[in-house]
Amino acid sequence: MDAHIRKVYVPMTETGFYILLCLQKEAHGYSIVQQVEQLTGGEIRISPGTLYGSLSKMEKDGLIRFLREEEKRKIYSITDLGRQVLELETKRIERLYRNMREVQGV
Amino acid sequence: MKDTKTEWKFFSIADWEKEEQYLRRQHQNGWKFTGVSFLMAYHFVRCEPEDVVYQLDYNPAANKQEYLQIFRDCGWEYLQDYVGYSYFRKPASAMQGEEAIFSDDASRLDMLRRIIKGRLLPLLPIFLLLVLPNLLRPLSAYSTPVEYALLAMFLFLGVVYTFIFVYFGWQFTKLYNRLQRK
Repeated sequence: MDAHIRKVYVPMTETGFYILLCLQKEAHGYSIVQQVEQLTGGEIRISPGTLYGSLSKMEKDGLIRFLREEEKRKIYSITDLGRQVLELETKRIERLYRNMREVQGV
Repeated sequence: MKDTKTEWKFFSIADWEKEEQYLRRQHQNGWKFTGVSFLMAYHFVRCEPEDVVYQLDYNPAANKQEYLQIFRDCGWEYLQDYVGYSYFRKPASAMQGEEAIFSDDASRLDMLRRIIKGRLLPLLPIFLLLVLPNLLRPLSAYSTPVEYALLAMFLFLGVVYTFIFVYFGWQFTKLYNRLQRK
């Protein structure tokens, strides 16, 4: 993983993280919005401009790839590079969570 | 009473939020936006007053089919493109809380960067390569009426361009700071 990817994606936006999380299974844009809404109990609703911007940047940077088109919707899935980034982020968030618990003594 | 109207309004390339508010106000007052055309003529048709949220995006490089499908899926009606901006609207009654086409500041900043790159920077070469060199020539280089006319034109362009860069530079800095701070 080159320095550019690390700089841009670690840490990444909440939107970016959920996109990678969902694209471990192939999906199109709007189904990501729906999954995230369900996962977060409606607390996070990704807007279309934000979603499209993230998808096109991640595809350009090779974190996700376009598989095929179904009814005008592009289906994407995560790449190996995307998995590496997701793994780094997962570790970072786990550490954050662990430290929060330690310091708060919960 | 007439059922259509046209208003001329000037919104600079840094004023898309004012434009969105303007279109929303019109719809609340019973004037539904039907399009903007040459020289910023805004066209409306009479309708039932309704609270409809209008939004502008600037993304001319987008893959149009995929891009518009995502907006449609999220309930946004696509209206038109105008000088690189795409116009969308969605009734407030169809929203859960306040919705916008961007849900985080990272993507709002991305749009700002696309506008700077697409609308502001292309003016720079014209200014630096054409207007500025001509204004820096010594006055003695001008003698015929045609040359004086050219000088007057470059002076005019020089003033306009300087105004554009100072005004927009200031507008963009304000926006950038507001988004970064949030």
